[in-house]
Amino acid sequence: MMNQRRINDILRRVLFYFLVFVIAVYALFPFYWAFSTSFKTENEMFRRATYLPQEPTLKNYEYVLRDNTFLVALRNSAFVAGATSVLSLMIGSFAAYALGRLRFRGRTALLYIVLSMTMFPAISILSGLYSIVRELGVFGTPFALILTYPVFTLPFTVWVLTSFFKGLPAEIEQAAIVDGATPFQRFRLVLLPLIAPALVTTGLLAFVSSWNEYLFALNFTITNPEYQTVPVAIAQFSGIDALQEPIAEIMAAAMVVTIPLVLLVLIFQKRIVAGLTAGAVKG
Amino acid sequence: MTFTPITQYDQAADSDPANGRIAAYVLSSIFLFLGLAAISLLVFNVTSNAVIRAVLDWDTASPDPAPSLILAFLSEFGIILPVLILGAGVAFIWLGFRVRGRHITTGRWVHIAAMWLTIGSVGLAFLNAVQGLSAKPDTPVNIGGIVFPLIAAGGFAMIYIWLNRSMGRIFRGQEDYMARETRVAWNMLIPTLAVFIIVAARPLEQTFIRSLTDKRFAGQSIPQFVGLENYQSLLGIRLDTVTCRWDEEASACVTRNDGSIRWESIDRGLLEEGYRTVWTIQLPFGERAQALAISSLDDDFLQGIGTTLVFAAISVTLELLIALFMAVTVNSEFAGRGLMRAVMLIPWAIPTVISARLWELMLKDTTAGIINRVLMDMHIIDVSKAWLSDVTLQLPAAIMVDVWKTAPFMALLLLAGLQTIPKDLYEAASVDGASRIRQFFSVTLPLLRPTIGVALVFRTLDALRVFDLFNVLFGRQQLTMATYDYETLVNNQRDGYASAVSMIIFLLIAVFALIYVRLLNVETE
Repeated sequence: MMNQRRINDILRRVLFYFLVFVIAVYALFPFYWAFSTSFKTENEMFRRATYLPQEPTLKNYEYVLRDNTFLVALRNSAFVAGATSVLSLMIGSFAAYALGRLRFRGRTALLYIVLSMTMFPAISILSGLYSIVRELGVFGTPFALILTYPVFTLPFTVWVLTSFFKGLPAEIEQAAIVDGATPFQRFRLVLLPLIAPALVTTGLLAFVSSWNEYLFALNFTITNPEYQTVPVAIAQFSGIDALQEPIAEIMAAAMVVTIPLVLLVLIFQKRIVAGLTAGAVKG
Repeated sequence: MTFTPITQYDQAADSDPANGRIAAYVLSSIFLFLGLAAISLLVFNVTSNAVIRAVLDWDTASPDPAPSLILAFLSEFGIILPVLILGAGVAFIWLGFRVRGRHITTGRWVHIAAMWLTIGSVGLAFLNAVQGLSAKPDTPVNIGGIVFPLIAAGGFAMIYIWLNRSMGRIFRGQEDYMARETRVAWNMLIPTLAVFIIVAARPLEQTFIRSLTDKRFAGQSIPQFVGLENYQSLLGIRLDTVTCRWDEEASACVTRNDGSIRWESIDRGLLEEGYRTVWTIQLPFGERAQALAISSLDDDFLQGIGTTLVFAAISVTLELLIALFMAVTVNSEFAGRGLMRAVMLIPWAIPTVISARLWELMLKDTTAGIINRVLMDMHIIDVSKAWLSDVTLQLPAAIMVDVWKTAPFMALLLLAGLQTIPKDLYEAASVDGASRIRQFFSVTLPLLRPTIGVALVFRTLDALRVFDLFNVLFGRQQLTMATYDYETLVNNQRDGYASAVSMIIFLLIAVFALIYVRLLNVETE
């Protein structure tokens, strides 16, 4: 009787870890595949697929790194995504404080306006943004992207930070009110330090989504290849030999440009998950 | 009306009344000047605008029809910007008059206005500097555009600092608490609203205006007003019944090799008008086999809507099911749970463009494609499939990629929801003898409903907007609403028509969002 239960227990454990393993393979396999392909020779690409490279080579990486394109793209992406997230955090935390902690007429309407910004597809404002970027004279520069990316980073920054501000207990501010602090002082000296972890979280989310953006980057930097961001550089990459698609090189390039981001995500995994779920669970 | 108690401010003002009065008059004249300047600058810009001049000076003898003045104004300036500038002008003039009353509330607003004017001027100078740096080397840099805003910024900053110091000397009274909170709130919202107007409201307004014209993308010619023509051809959908092609000898419907029935085409007249049939659906009644033919003036767009809806429905459903399974599994306590969560974030973090190219490689149509190899090793398929070039397999392939990318992400959202469910509910359930499966359906699912709701809303809206994936995987072979829009805009340069497409997509997504919010009763507050 006792033995039977133990066996069941062990079986259940094995089954459970098997499921976990299946999920991990499901999530990671394409990544592994790109990794393994990036070490294959171009000839191997046309043979029957093998799970491991038959003749491992570093040639692909050599090609990719010799050509400066991807390092420049990495730098551009880092600059654009960094500047966008800092900007959205600054602007967004002001708005979130007003929406989360202050009482005034028109608050709900403003919250809905912010939410509606997330609704339309980026393509529907592409031509309008194109004219504005042209008018402002920043077309073809990273500033065109820094100016336009808040379209999608700002709404969720405001939304998530508002829910964080609302979550702080009222007593925290009351002491400061008694001391005669102005609302702005309360924001800067009392509440902002308290939501610092949330700022890190939202900043990371804004960073990742600006890093991955493709449509605006493609259209606003098309004339200046030296300002291309990572997704555009990958999409446009045609390799040394123009006759055939250099798949192994593309995968090597993909590795070079994704590994920094993957590391970032792994290091800040807890923070990112917290931010993603703050928006969804508190709604 | 409440009486304001005498404060230090009043005493200070009384001690030096003349000083305060002069300062108020100076401020008043500055703001009256700024208000008038804003309004006249707007008028000057409108009357000297090249496009508007071209319309005003239109040569009536020319064979082309004269473009509309209203349209020229709308496409150059829109409604939002002129209204805002007029509003700012009027507000400044109003402040200019109110300052003489020397009430503290006015003083605070003047103070704020000075601050935003400083920031705005610095921003303008910065923008001009960026423009100068990014311009071609041989064009002269607009030095005035950098220097003058900086001088103005300096002036406004001085006003700001001066008011900081002598607010109490110039202005009297006390501000009530609510008014102050409102003022601070709007003030802190100004940057967000400014960004919102520049990058969302203005472009959207332009899209709407353009959808009524025949504008070309990045073109210089003055567009013509075409009314609802663009919408007419996009929404020109009709339903007809058609019979099958009849084989007299066999007295049966003519069929194709694969057994499907061949249908008669719709009336010649309709074909000449430009209608093309997108789908034929067999009807279950009628003597001979009958079918409903759905035809459209723009068959690519209708097809795109269909593709997008099917894509969204199937991928979101699959994602939800897989995500639920993943979330419930990972929710148990086990070693390496943190690592597992990190692993699940990776598909989401990789840019869609890169994951599309990754899958492009995995889905290669020979045995060189790993998906074919794996499926053949598992004896699920016998011959390798052409996932990306076979039209019937393109949509399943796209769904496969999308599910891979977003199911783990959705699982993380659900996981957070699961963790808010109190443990003792499960204990109580198992005391009552409920099985694990029973617990899932009567405890987990009902309590997870709000989280599922929110995740579904966001995922559906995302899926309806899908762009990167189809653009990279299929180009123009398999269009969704968004990639059709892109093809029309960038490759066919039909800005007016593409704008109408955008408006329709926007409205369609808005309808979906509304239905969802109603159905699931998702609280937004």
